[in-house]
Amino acid sequence: MESLIGLNCSAVECTSLSPSALIWQDVLAQAMTGELVAAMNYTSLSEICDDPEQVADALEHAEGERGHAAAFAAEGRKIGVDVSNNVDAKHWKRLRDAFMRCITGRDLIGCLIVQEIMLESFAVASYARVGKVAPGSLGKTFASIAAEEAEHIDHAMAILRTERALDGQRFDDKVYRLHLDVMTTLAEMLARECKHGHCEVCHGSCVKPSLSVVSLSAAELRGASLQQYLKTLDTLGIPGEVTLAWVTQLPV
Amino acid sequence: MGDSVASVASRGRTIEVDFALVGHQESWRAAADVLAVLRGPEHTPLPDDEIKDILPWIPPRAVCHVDVGSIVGAKARGLYIDSFIPPDRLEAAYVHENIARVRGAAAYAIKAGAKIVSLGGFSSILIEGNFDQLPERHDTVFTTGNTLTVGFIVQGIKKMCALEGRNLLGSTLLIVGATGDVGSGCARCLAPIVRRVLLSARNLERLRRLVAELQADGIEVEIGTDLQQFSAEADVVICAASLASPSLLLGRIVSHAIVCDAGYPKNLSPRAEMPGVKVFFGGLGQITGGLRFAPDFHGVLNRHPFPDVVHGCLLEGMALALEGRFEPFSQGRGSITQERVEEIETIAARHGIYLAPLYNANGPVKGGLHCQWERSGG
Repeated sequence: MESLIGLNCSAVECTSLSPSALIWQDVLAQAMTGELVAAMNYTSLSEICDDPEQVADALEHAEGERGHAAAFAAEGRKIGVDVSNNVDAKHWKRLRDAFMRCITGRDLIGCLIVQEIMLESFAVASYARVGKVAPGSLGKTFASIAAEEAEHIDHAMAILRTERALDGQRFDDKVYRLHLDVMTTLAEMLARECKHGHCEVCHGSCVKPSLSVVSLSAAELRGASLQQYLKTLDTLGIPGEVTLAWVTQLPV
Repeated sequence: MGDSVASVASRGRTIEVDFALVGHQESWRAAADVLAVLRGPEHTPLPDDEIKDILPWIPPRAVCHVDVGSIVGAKARGLYIDSFIPPDRLEAAYVHENIARVRGAAAYAIKAGAKIVSLGGFSSILIEGNFDQLPERHDTVFTTGNTLTVGFIVQGIKKMCALEGRNLLGSTLLIVGATGDVGSGCARCLAPIVRRVLLSARNLERLRRLVAELQADGIEVEIGTDLQQFSAEADVVICAASLASPSLLLGRIVSHAIVCDAGYPKNLSPRAEMPGVKVFFGGLGQITGGLRFAPDFHGVLNRHPFPDVVHGCLLEGMALALEGRFEPFSQGRGSITQERVEEIETIAARHGIYLAPLYNANGPVKGGLHCQWERSGG
């Protein structure tokens, strides 16, 4: 597993840690990986923007996401765990590849839909849930990063609504195509069990069955994420009966 | 037949919405069927445990488009909006969460531009005494739909009595859930035309107020909270209580009694043993001018053994939309009168909306298939 951020901390003897610390270790690893993928996405986005202001925005977002990743690593150190990351883990790589297809097509709107509507909905909702149950500064960090990510969505929403106003049908078709690609992967990630083998981010066996130890569940994280996604699509103006069908057709 | 989910997508944003129907599913089986239609035949149905995990997270939203026709040629277009109240969370402990869901569904209807909204099932129960809790309404009006529900309950009672050769004038009527909007409406319509009236409800204070109102009109009624005692004395029973699940047992009911279960969810427990008792599901009407769902939810959103049967509370909004009367016909609690029932029955009948064929859990009631409109007046 290749790590993008050098953590500069010693390896931790896991057997000496509480069961909850080991669970937080995997939760943090997933979050950190997601932030690093987002940072890479924003950096790629900056390379297809023509407007210098957009370039600066994208680079600023990339830096912000790297900051979030570092914050998660720091929270791991506080509880005595080494938070690794793997942006090449199979689900995350598929998500990154979906984004890069938009980059290759110089599809700025597609990039925003993938990153801001789909990936950020997942991040905002799941971080907020974790923020409610995680102890001390760990919880505060998740909650504050959830709030920052929500601002990203707001920022993109104005651009996307303007785009949808130009040609609603074309816009909705594009969202649906990207939904099939990206949300299918996210749904598999959030399924109760990893049916296609190890996710390549968790340290040992899959963390999902153990989440109840820290008052979480995979079902809750999935539910909250899909709810946030539906609400975000509502805000864009896509008919609710259409997005409901999209979501119910996702794999479980 | 209706359209596929995919083909509805492109129509979603262009249709003018006359009415919206706000509802929820009364069982997990019903919820599973709705999700199965949305998933489409190419996807395997969701396992039951996944449905229980997913459904509570779905925000209130439209599930399908509804087109309704009138026998005089009028047409109205609408939306069915599900509040996605989980079927096992209908009890009082979830009341605030459920009100929030109904508010969300109401807001969705307003945003969709619905001119009139019918609040079905628990949606009306939650709002009937709390209209101030609805979102700012703009040009949208809301009706609980309870007046037409009362009309169809009363028509059903009369029909069943006729089928059984029973004289309503000589009957002892028991209303369970008598202080609710539907129960009190039934009391006002039927009390003047039966021999004896027994009213049962959990809230004694509200019962006393209803008694005072009926006595002011010269009608003698008896009240009680001991349902088993009353059920041993009544030969016509209307069950209109707000129960979270079918749990009512009428253990001492007389063997020839007629029982109308008008609850949503149903009131009568499947375990209720009532040999010889004639049970039917009340408050249902049938559209004869055409009903179309897109995507096709026939038999899924309206789970009845006859086509185009819908709960009276939802039919009220459709009838008013067909009539072009976009007004809050049924609001508040305890204001349903005989005159208002006759008025909405007349509107509904003008557009071909009649009492549905009578049926119960075992299927159609013998002789109850050919329904003609009968006014609920004495």
